[in-house]
Amino acid sequence: MTSPMSSPVRVAEGERGVASFDAVIVGAGPAGSAAAIELARAGRRVALLERGSFPGAKNVYGGVVYGRVLDELIPNWWTEAPIQRWVTRRQTMLLTPGQALTVDFRTENWGKPPYNGATTHRADFDAWLAGKAEEAGAKLLTSTLVTALRTDPGGRIVGVRTDRPDGDLDAGVVIAADGVNSFLAKQAGLYAEDQLANSTLGVKETLALPRETIEERFGVRGTDGVDIEMIGATKGIPGGGFLYTNLDSLSIGVVVDLTELGKAKVRPEELIAELKRHPSIAPLVRGGEIVEYAAHLIPEGGYHSMPTLTGNGLLIAGDAAAMCLAAGIWLEGVNFAIGSGMYAGRAAAAALAAGDTSTRGLAGYRERLASSFVLADHHKLRGAPGLLMSERVQRKYPAMLCDLVEGVFQVTNPQPKPGFRKLLLRSAKRHGVRLRDLARDAISGIRSYG
Amino acid sequence: MGKALVVVALRQVDPFATVDPLTGTVYAQPRGGLSTADECALEHALRMAESLDARCLACTVGPQEADEVLRTALAAGATEALRVAGEPASEGHTARLLTEAIRARYADPALLLCGDYSMDRGTGATPALLAARFGASQALGLVELTSHNGGLRAERRLDCGRRERLAIELPAVCSVEPSTVRLRRASLPGLLAAREAEIPVASPAESFVDTRIRRRARTAYRPRTRAIAAPAGAAPGQRVRALTGALTEHEPPRLVFPANAAAAASELLDYLEQRGYLP
Ligand SMILES: Cc1cc2nc3c(=O)[nH]c(=O)nc-3n(C[C@H](O)[C@H](O)[C@H](O)COP(=O)(O)OP(=O)(O)OC[C@H]3O[C@@H](n4cnc5c(N)ncnc54)[C@H](O)[C@@H]3O)c2cc1C
Repeated sequence: MTSPMSSPVRVAEGERGVASFDAVIVGAGPAGSAAAIELARAGRRVALLERGSFPGAKNVYGGVVYGRVLDELIPNWWTEAPIQRWVTRRQTMLLTPGQALTVDFRTENWGKPPYNGATTHRADFDAWLAGKAEEAGAKLLTSTLVTALRTDPGGRIVGVRTDRPDGDLDAGVVIAADGVNSFLAKQAGLYAEDQLANSTLGVKETLALPRETIEERFGVRGTDGVDIEMIGATKGIPGGGFLYTNLDSLSIGVVVDLTELGKAKVRPEELIAELKRHPSIAPLVRGGEIVEYAAHLIPEGGYHSMPTLTGNGLLIAGDAAAMCLAAGIWLEGVNFAIGSGMYAGRAAAAALAAGDTSTRGLAGYRERLASSFVLADHHKLRGAPGLLMSERVQRKYPAMLCDLVEGVFQVTNPQPKPGFRKLLLRSAKRHGVRLRDLARDAISGIRSYG
Repeated sequence: MGKALVVVALRQVDPFATVDPLTGTVYAQPRGGLSTADECALEHALRMAESLDARCLACTVGPQEADEVLRTALAAGATEALRVAGEPASEGHTARLLTEAIRARYADPALLLCGDYSMDRGTGATPALLAARFGASQALGLVELTSHNGGLRAERRLDCGRRERLAIELPAVCSVEPSTVRLRRASLPGLLAAREAEIPVASPAESFVDTRIRRRARTAYRPRTRAIAAPAGAAPGQRVRALTGALTEHEPPRLVFPANAAAAASELLDYLEQRGYLP
């Protein structure tokens, strides 16, 4: 297979690809398929190029999709989407090696239409969404790797080169939905030097367990499921853990800061192994047979790490544009990818209709994003990634809070009960947390999440 | 006279199907594809069509989803495709459906290629049955195949690392192992054209029931229970020997040299019957 090239291919005047499309979309992940659906429905000729042998073949994620954004694209999507379980129970856990403090919430409302979150396998979900793009008229070309952008002598992007023989395509507009560390965005010069500095590494295992065992251990029935997010589960390396229920398997994994992981000299699979041994997790995963192990980068930097979103003839969407929202209790990449893909599709369709797909003609993309949840949420939560990955949130607070709660429930007879204030001061002191910092973090937390 | 015809018979399979170890149930994904052996057969077919200056027809028996494997073949360079609608009941049925569909539309092929056996519990009998139906020479399980002076030269593996070289006359049916060649990468124009291509469908006239084959519901193999009397002997060692037959004199294996295939078959059947494997 030809590998990607480092710079765009210059096309001579009059030189043509083997076929011409109004839009070429690179990557049939959620962002690419959503863009393809929009453009094809607008009556445009669309090619959706995917390097995997089918959409989703190569894609990795934790396991929960929030489908509300699909309401606009596929009405009643929940009747046909390949869902494993509907999340009706959410837990956030603070862990220390021997303690766990869990906030557990469940609601019947999320187990019925129009639903909230759902676990689904990407191989099924991405293939389904790309199938919708095909139904709308997009041409899906799989096992086809895009190796370069093609530009005209003026530097305008006019198509892509693929690794197939005679593999050049012309396009009115190219949408790069090729995921994190997008080499198309890099080729177009839209990434900052240190774009990857904001990435984390996500690793996950899929553990097969009988359906009844899962239902018994997690206290759910039928197609109801559980989403557990954890802090303090990564051996002090900034990051978090997750555990989701599928029909007859579990997804368990960690997401960790790439640089710190390197410094700690710990292998990512050791982190999962350690998490599986934790006294509050071990009983949930016991006996699970590993059927899959996967690792992938996540662009977690949020608002401040987003690259330039528009080039001359090019839009970037989804993880390629760092649209993944990682804010501790929320890890939402797929819905943000679908949202940004959808708006990229609409902006591209409008630009094609107006006959101007230059950077200026495509400027409507950013406007659309800004007036939607995509940039609104990112803007609002722009401080969250920094706060979450901070030393105190990662290393000190989980242990401090676990100690505090342990103190609250510890019966100290014949000593009298110590009282909350004393307990807080004691555990803050024990873990080196200054109350000033605690107050400051609380304020920035309220600012970010409030 | 028109160009000669090279046919490649393909089968859609799921290379990632899982099998329940207890019940034997096969869980196949709808996203099937070609087995590696079929990919090799397709590559050989394309090469042979080039060297014989022939047309290359890709065909399959299966439901509409099986069109995908034909599109793969068209994208790689097959000149035409044909799907025979239906769900074959046996290898014999597949061979018959293919032969009839090909004969109804084309002349008999100069060369027909298959993978050595299909991944989903295939027996590898289909190519032999096709050769019988077309009255063609057959060479199965090949690792190499080239054209030579209007015929074919082929190689196949034997035991102990030996190779057998074959000279094959056309018309022929050959099956190939999943080795030595790799399916070429389809060009982008090929891929785009294959996506749009109309796949002709042959619908067999009548459903075919082979009365010689009795079918039962597919279940996992369970050996029949055999009641064995408790072993005689006072000492445990004696009883173990009686149970296992260790250290006792056995009738030496009998060497048989049947004169022909029919005699060999009846020899085998007799043997199975004596041992209680046949009703
Ligand atoms: C461990 C982990 C856990 C996660 N958990 C969750 C979660 O629970 N919920 C959630 O919503 N999000 C989660 N995410 C984030 C989510 O996976 C991403 O945000 C989302 O997949 C982004 O979608 P996308 O379409 O932008 O990119 P991708 O899903 O990465 O799709 C990109 C596509 O482009 C293709 N491609 C790439 N390069 C080329 C090329 N050159 N030519 C052709 N095709 C190409 C790829 O094969 C792929 O299909 C998680 C991520 C990780 C790594």
